[in-house]
Order: sequence, then C-alpha cells, then structure tokens
Amino acid sequence: MSSLAQSQLRETFELNIGPQHPATHGVLRIKVVMDGEYIDRAEPILGYIHRMHEKMGENRTWNQFWPNMGRLDYLSAIAYNHCYAGLMERAMGIVVPERAEYIRVITAELNRIQSHLLGFGAYIMDLGGFTPLMYAMDEREQILDLLESVTGSRLTYCYFRFGGVYNDIDDDFITGTRAFLKRFRPQIPMYHKLVTGNVILMNRLIGVGPLSAEICRKYGATGPVLRGSGVNYDIRRNEPYSVYPELDFDIPVYHECDSMARYMVRMDEMLQSCRIIEHALNKLPEGPVMAEKVPKALKPPKGDYHYAVEAARGTFSMRTVSDGTNTSYRMRLRSPTYSNVSLFEEASRGMLLSDALAFLGSLDPVIPEMDR
Amino acid sequence: MDRAKIKRELEELAAEGLPAEQPQEEAPVEVQAEGEGEDKAKAKKEEDVPRKNGLIETDYATRGAHLDVQINPDQVVRAAEILDSEGMTLELVTGVDWIKEGQFEVIYDYSYAGGQLFRVVVRARVDRNNPDIPTVCHVYGGANWHERETWELLGINFVGHPQLEHFLLPEDADFYPLRKDFKP
Amino acid sequence: MTFGLACCAIEMLSAGCARFDLSRFGAEVFRPSPRQSDVMIVAGTINKKMLPAVKILYDQMPEPKWVIAMGNCAISGGPFVFPGQYNVVEGADSFLPVDVYIPGCPPRPEALIEGLLELEEKITGHRRWPRVKPETAVKG
Repeated sequence: MSSLAQSQLRETFELNIGPQHPATHGVLRIKVVMDGEYIDRAEPILGYIHRMHEKMGENRTWNQFWPNMGRLDYLSAIAYNHCYAGLMERAMGIVVPERAEYIRVITAELNRIQSHLLGFGAYIMDLGGFTPLMYAMDEREQILDLLESVTGSRLTYCYFRFGGVYNDIDDDFITGTRAFLKRFRPQIPMYHKLVTGNVILMNRLIGVGPLSAEICRKYGATGPVLRGSGVNYDIRRNEPYSVYPELDFDIPVYHECDSMARYMVRMDEMLQSCRIIEHALNKLPEGPVMAEKVPKALKPPKGDYHYAVEAARGTFSMRTVSDGTNTSYRMRLRSPTYSNVSLFEEASRGMLLSDALAFLGSLDPVIPEMDR
Repeated sequence: MDRAKIKRELEELAAEGLPAEQPQEEAPVEVQAEGEGEDKAKAKKEEDVPRKNGLIETDYATRGAHLDVQINPDQVVRAAEILDSEGMTLELVTGVDWIKEGQFEVIYDYSYAGGQLFRVVVRARVDRNNPDIPTVCHVYGGANWHERETWELLGINFVGHPQLEHFLLPEDADFYPLRKDFKP
Repeated sequence: MTFGLACCAIEMLSAGCARFDLSRFGAEVFRPSPRQSDVMIVAGTINKKMLPAVKILYDQMPEPKWVIAMGNCAISGGPFVFPGQYNVVEGADSFLPVDVYIPGCPPRPEALIEGLLELEEKITGHRRWPRVKPETAVKG
C-alpha cells in the first residue's frame, strides 16, 4: 500500500477529557489526539485550580502561611503540615519535644490511611464499581472522628505549629485509635476478597500502564508510583525525619510496574501504617507538646532551606529562600502529583482510552496540589 | 553512585566557568564607633559580595542538601548529564527573582533514589533583562513541566524547550506573577 | 451536578455516602452531566481559567435551575484572596445567580444537608425537617 493511502487510512481526531470530571480527581483537562480507540498523544492541561500558593508564601508571614498547607493536598494535609513545620524547625534550629514528634507521626499515619482509603474508593469508582467507595468512606469517617477530636477539622488540618503541635491528645483518642486499629486490620483482607480478586478488576489493571524504573527516575515520580516499579525509595526510610527511625515498619515494593502493582502498594501501605501507629502508641512518652521559647515572629537566617517528607502520594518537599524578614522571599512547593502526572504524556502513547484512564487513576492524582 | 566522583566533576565544571582572576575590590567600610559599628560593617561586607561559581559542602541538618554548586547558565546541561550518568533524579526546578541585584536564579534540586541519601543543589544566575538559560528537558523529561511553569511565573526563557506555552495561567495571560515588580 | 473543584468536593462526597446520607432527603442522584440536573453545587475555588467552563455548564442546564455556593471560596474567594492576587474569582455570585450560600472551609456535610433543605424551603415554601435551635454554650 502506498504511503499516501496509509496516511489516509490513519485519521486522528481530537478529544477533550474536560475539566469537569465525574471522578473526584479534580479539575484536570486532558487534550487527547485519538487514532480510533488508541491514544496518539495525550496532553494534560493544568491551571484550572491554580490558587497562587507560592505567591501567598511571599505575601503572608511565616505563621500566616499555615492554612495554605492544609489546602494543597487536602487528603494528606498532615504530611504537608509536617513538611512546613520541619522546614522552619530546621531553619531556626528549634528542637521539638518527643511527645509532639510521636503525636505528629500518629496523626500523619492516620491521615495516610484515610488518603489511601479515599484513593482506593475513588479509583474503583472510576473503573465502574460503586460499592467499595461506600465501605472506604465509612472507615474514613471513623478516622476523621478521631482526628477531629484532636485537631478540630475534618479535612484541611492546620494542626502543627513550629515547635510541636498545638493540642495534646487525650486518653479518649488513644483508646479510640486502638479500637479503630483492631476494627480496621481485618477489613483489608475483606477488601482484597471483595475487590482485588475480582476478575474484571484484574483484567483492567494487570499489565496496564507499565512504568519502568527508568522513566520514573527521569520524571521524578515518587511514592507508590515508584514503589510499584520496583524501586525501594521512601523518604521515611531513605531520608528519615521525625521519629520514623525508631519505629518498626516495612516498605512494600512490587516489581510488576503496572497499575495492579501500584494499587497493591497502597493497600499494603495501609497495613504498614497500622503497624506504625500501634508501635508509636506503645512508645508514646509523657511530656510537653510544644517547644519552649519559640519566637512569635519568626525570622529565619538568610539563605535557602529544603525539607522533604513522604506524603500519601510521594515525596513532598519545600524549598524556601529567606531574606531574614518575617515573610519568605520565595516559597517553592514540590508536589508529588506534579511529577507523577508529568509522565502521563509519554507513558500513555498507544494505549486504549479506557486503559489510559485506569492508568491515570493508579497514579492517584489530586489536582489542587498539582496546580498549587 | 559515586559521591566523590560527582563532587570532583562538579567542582571542575564550576572552576571552568569562573571568569579570569580580577583584583579584589574592597567593600566600603565606614568609620564608626567600635563594637556595633564593626558588626554592621562586617555584615554589610558579607551582604555585598556576590557568591562566586564553585562548590560548597553544606550541612544537611540545617540546609537540607549535601552539595551546593553554583555554575554558569550555559553549563547546566553538562551538570545535568554528570548527575544523570550517576543515577540521580531531578526533583525540582525553582526560579528566584533577585530584583535588587538584577538577576534571576534558577535552582535545580537533585536527589538519589537508590539507597544512599545524597542531595545536590545546582544554581545558575542569569541577567534579569535577558534571562536565557538552556533547557535540561532532553536529559531529564521531568524538567519539561518544571521549566514551563518557571517560564510562566517568572519569565525565564529556557532555550530549546519544545513547548513554552501557558500552563497554569489562562492562555491569554501576559504577565509574570511571581516577579517582584508585578502589579495585578 | 457534581461540580467538585477542590476540597469541598470531598465533603460533598462524604455527604453522599453512608454516614451523612443525602439520599434520605431525595438528593442522592449526583449527575455529572448538566443536561440532567436541576441544582449546581459549586464546591471549590473558581479560577479565571475555569470561569468560562462554569458559565458554559450553567448555561447548559435546563430551566428551572438553582445554584448552591458551597464553601468560602465559592462565596467570596475564600482564603485565597490577598492584595495582589491574580487568579481567583471572588465568589460564584459575581457571574452566577446564587440561591443558597453554605459557609465553611470546608463546610461539614451536615451543613450541606442544611443548605439543601434551605433550598427546598426557598423553592416550595415549607421545610420538611424542623429547624434545630443551637444550644447556648455559656452556662452560668
């Protein structure tokens, strides 16, 4: 067949997967050039929820920037709080009391479980199954009750302060958390029985969206995306912060590099978070929850500072340039979803459209943290 | 990943980019009363001296990185290749607007995902009126989006970038919001 | 219509799920398509880039239609308004006729339910669930 005839056969059309999504990922627009059912080129277009967090970092004082940290990735807000607190404590040399560190870890891990539950529920809803969302949200409500009794908010937490946490946990929280862990642990095998063994799910996830470790490295993908491709990289182990070195947990790594591997990494991480919480509760020391002598108006010394934590979606890090005043000169936020979704364009070439959406869901994007 | 090799190669790269030796200019020291006057003059002297190209080993516990290299803008691709060959990941590209000095600074954050903890920061300064810097997105695909965003928010031109289009802002935006002289 | 833009979308989702069941008020059906919906719940921050999309979706809804502005961002721009801001639209009511405002950042799912009951009262004239007076907190 002549090349002219071949090119006439191959007709592409443009499709817009618009900013208004039925799924809860948020407002992501993907401009897709399709060749029949296969994707020729997919281009994610961001910016529909760009809320100027970096500009606000320059306009707000260090203390006034706290609420922003809860609204970046609202599902994993405590990890973001943790990064900001750690960044300023590193810059000012503030030492956090041990009880506060343990409370931080316990709340952060509860938040991680909650984020993975919602990610799991929303992902299966994307693929067409509505039931797991109901189950997952029910577990999530139990965690939100616990966290609300301590922090005061259900979703966008603003719980940490420079030097510790602002509210101590009480015995009700501790007994409630232990009861929750006891109830939650047997639920994970139930989810596996309900969902993971389902033949439709297996057909939709196994082999879909293969991501080699090399492409993850080139694009800076981290978190469950990287761990599903066989690379054992977790900030809690590789660049330890807070009291994670003293706690006992494993990092789940799967080598299949497909969407099923990423899904399994998240499910296993929930179990590991349960282990962390239990160990931390057993080791929880008495003491103050706030460092003494933290200045009200912070003025960190001039220069750059950098801090990284493991949020639910990957490495979240902040780089701030301080000029010695009470606002930052430049606040840069590196969100994990930004790097994870940046490889969508390259990785989705030649995929079926439905596979591409399953792949996007397995990256677990939260769009407001991508747009900042 | 060979830390010593990275350090050596980056040091050589930075040394290549240094301008020819110039006689050191004395920063003006005002004659003031002792004690406080001395401290003030010392601080002023430290402030005024811009950082020269070169490698510094920073304290991880305070700064969050192990090596900090300042190089010329035209050397950033070579630095990226050095770090790529040792298996490092490019995590972040930041642009900073130093309006008082009339420069933009582009900061690249590299990290290692293979086991050891190692973070390298590479900096380059460009002139504010002519902010051209070559792109590293052919070495690291992840730099594509980071550079696009830095262009959009600050106006730093990444030469060779395949798609410097509007990204986070609406398509018809004609301003650079993160510049210090931006007025909405 | 589920118009979950940001954090408030998660509270809207929670309101639809088992604990704060919206379906007991007959409001369970969340339709992604504007052609089949009566109410648009604007949950989240509206951007200047997103503004045309929201307007088009509103125009595509068939009459009679109502709008609920959920969350501080939809009411007035929320915590993202500061001098020098360049991207956030200060409130859904700057370009849409809003019927009910639900404050909060994010508002609790119970607040969303209350907002829906308010809308019902506005439309039909009577309220199907009694109004609960908040207890006075200060004693003695």
